Amino acid sequence: MLLSDLYLWLSFSRVRTRKLNKLLERYTPEQLWDSFDEEIKYNPDDKALSALKRTRSVDFIERTKQYLKLNNIEYVTRADPIFPVSLAQTEVDPPLVLYYKGNLDILREPCIAVVGTRRASQYGKYVTNKIVSELAQRFTIVSGLATGIDGYAHAAALDAGGNTAAVLGSGLFNVTPVSNVKLFDDICKRGTVVTEYTPDTHATEYTFPERNRIISGLCKGVLVVEASDGSGSLITANCALEQGRDVFAVPGDIDKIRSIGTNKLIKNGAVPVTSANDIFDYYDVPHAGRKQKSVELDFGQQKILDMLANGEASFDSLAERSGMSIAELNTSLSALVIYGLVHEVSKNVYGLS
Amino acid sequence: MLARINSYALSGLNGYKVSVEVDIHAGLPGIEVVGLPDTAVKESRERMRSAIKNSGYDFTPHKITINLAPAHTKKEGSVFDLAIALGVLCATEQGVVDEHRNPLRALEDYIFLGELSLSGSVRKINGVMPILISARERGFKKVVIPKENANEAKYIRGVEVYAVGSLREAVALVNASDALPIETCDISPKSAARASEDLKYVKGQYSAKRALEIAAAGGHNMLMIGSPGGGKTMLAKCLPGILPDMTEDEILETTKIHSVAGILDPQAGIVTERPFRTPHHTSSKIALTGGGSTSHPGEISYAHNGVLFLDELPEYPRGVLEILRQPLEDGVITVSRAARSVEYPADFMLVASMNPCPCGYYGSAAHACSCTPSQIQKYMSRISGPLLDRIDLHIDVDEVRYDELTSDGLSESSATVKARVNAARAVQTARYAGTNVHSNANMSNAMIKKYCALDAAGERILSNAFDKLGFSARAYTRILKVARTIADLDGSENIQSKHIAEAVMYRSLDKAVK
Repeated sequence: MLLSDLYLWLSFSRVRTRKLNKLLERYTPEQLWDSFDEEIKYNPDDKALSALKRTRSVDFIERTKQYLKLNNIEYVTRADPIFPVSLAQTEVDPPLVLYYKGNLDILREPCIAVVGTRRASQYGKYVTNKIVSELAQRFTIVSGLATGIDGYAHAAALDAGGNTAAVLGSGLFNVTPVSNVKLFDDICKRGTVVTEYTPDTHATEYTFPERNRIISGLCKGVLVVEASDGSGSLITANCALEQGRDVFAVPGDIDKIRSIGTNKLIKNGAVPVTSANDIFDYYDVPHAGRKQKSVELDFGQQKILDMLANGEASFDSLAERSGMSIAELNTSLSALVIYGLVHEVSKNVYGLS
Repeated sequence: MLARINSYALSGLNGYKVSVEVDIHAGLPGIEVVGLPDTAVKESRERMRSAIKNSGYDFTPHKITINLAPAHTKKEGSVFDLAIALGVLCATEQGVVDEHRNPLRALEDYIFLGELSLSGSVRKINGVMPILISARERGFKKVVIPKENANEAKYIRGVEVYAVGSLREAVALVNASDALPIETCDISPKSAARASEDLKYVKGQYSAKRALEIAAAGGHNMLMIGSPGGGKTMLAKCLPGILPDMTEDEILETTKIHSVAGILDPQAGIVTERPFRTPHHTSSKIALTGGGSTSHPGEISYAHNGVLFLDELPEYPRGVLEILRQPLEDGVITVSRAARSVEYPADFMLVASMNPCPCGYYGSAAHACSCTPSQIQKYMSRISGPLLDRIDLHIDVDEVRYDELTSDGLSESSATVKARVNAARAVQTARYAGTNVHSNANMSNAMIKKYCALDAAGERILSNAFDKLGFSARAYTRILKVARTIADLDGSENIQSKHIAEAVMYRSLDKAVK
């Protein structure tokens, strides 16, 4: 019996990883397979053991392997050399098997997790875009494929041509949320999607906090962009601390709900981050150049840039202060947005990028 | 004696002649109406009896059979009352007998329309305008209508229209050899702004006002998205004041529908202002499309050549919204029922407003939103992609930050904007002359290719925009159409890159998650 097959058996028994890890402290996988009957005698009521017993057959393992192959799902077990080293530490409560789609090699590169609230503000979206588009040039961006900051981080990394990995809180057949299925497909093609759960597992309220330890475990550090108090991103940050990873946080207004979590992290010692360079400096990595196209600005566009230099402004106030016609203002503003020099901070409110 | 009087019935907007045959014969006294009459037609015998009696004629009980030919189509409404009464008078040889002329021959030239009251006066009916147009097409020369409908009829040339106020007047009319038809007059569109709101009273919202102008100039459908209190409804109410004047054909078409539906203003007689219909979101499918046992027109036909304003779009049941798709594309709605199939024009401009999320404050700078992502998604998904596909302009209308506004000197009045809109429409009318397209919004794909060619700079800015803002493919033709209208407003023959740049600003829903 191959060690990797034994791990696959243990994983497909659907006993919780924590429980399996406890068992594996006392027995090797071979011992569990061989001396199973004696073990069960001592623990007749243990549900985990009876689950293991039910699935303990060579035939089951073979059928499982076929099933995975048929569904184009690859897997890597703790016994395999390509299993991510960073996950193997005991602090992580390491998964026995990772099921994945895509290219697992990108997890060998240095990774940074970018996480945050599902209910992101325009500001959070903008900050994520800005930081990740540079960060992705040096790091693999790991996140949880949730809506909000997670999704923006993945999309921004893909856009910047960087690597990105999504860690799911469900099996690969049950991607949640459904709105991110397209993003899931993109990441499968150009990055990797991993999960410790067997393909048909549904996401529950327990699986998401559980997978957060894998997000932080895979990475050197975790960047929290926006988080309210009690947000799931804070669990990831806690996992990171327990695992000895670095925690970065983007500071925010003290009166915004979505900044309470991140500001709290900074108070407790997280590294405040206002640009990707802060993270590059922290790890002593050379800065990534911003791909800036040089554009020739006409008079009206320059005027708008000058006005926005003092801070964001609404369309109406730009219209009144610039003295341009609405058509001219629209045209200039649109061009500036297309060039990436200006962005929409919130509805009809513009600011410099 | 047998009498035959002509009347007219409508099926949709087209009509056909109905011969009212009245025969008096031996038998127990009684009146029988045959020829598939509905209840209103059957009841006409009671009205007719009292009207004849109270007009001073004799109504001796006889056995009377009234036949409405063709006998196989269903007859509805009270429009045949006058013809039936005259038929009875004729058959009983009262009033309409003229010694020198054959009474039946004289009556044959006329078509009689009108409802009778018990006193013998003639009351207003629905659908006079389409009946007159249809009768003219079929070669009828003389039509007698109720006096109250005279305003509506005076715009129709090529047919002599006589207005009568009572049964007696109708009798006098046929007997007189020198009766004068009502005077016709020209249709003149009203050009004064008549909207309840004027753009000059809307503070700020410059972007939205500009979008309104573009929508009016090109006939584009428009969706306003924004927090409560942003002024979406007020902006929409300004729209009638800047819409281009109606052409004569448009006035006649819209009046026909309003006439059939009975919503015509009896004083004005015709519709000279583009209709602005605002059905509530509890409206049923039939209320919007038309239908029912009588296949009457619905709100989208009432809004023909005008605006259909749907406030709080996601509150409308999905099914109600989906039925708009086909009329939005074709400009007509075919109401098919077991009894008949009727086509009504429904070439309207759809203007809708909605909040960005159930609580209304998603993306707002002033308030925090309390909705979950799945709630927001659910809310947005009430509007289907195919429907959004047919909406050219989406704009964000957020609360005005009054503290940032310094002056109201910039605010233009609706009349100023309307002048520009009229000019842009004139350009379009000339461009699309000889086709059935009236505005940029209705351009076919071939026309887009022909009239929306881009120069190199335009192509470049459009591809940059797609790249940067993550537009979906369906945005492409929408942006081109809107850019065409912006160019028309600008008086430019070709679409320039600046027009494209501006058009890109009005696709807020298409921007991908980035």
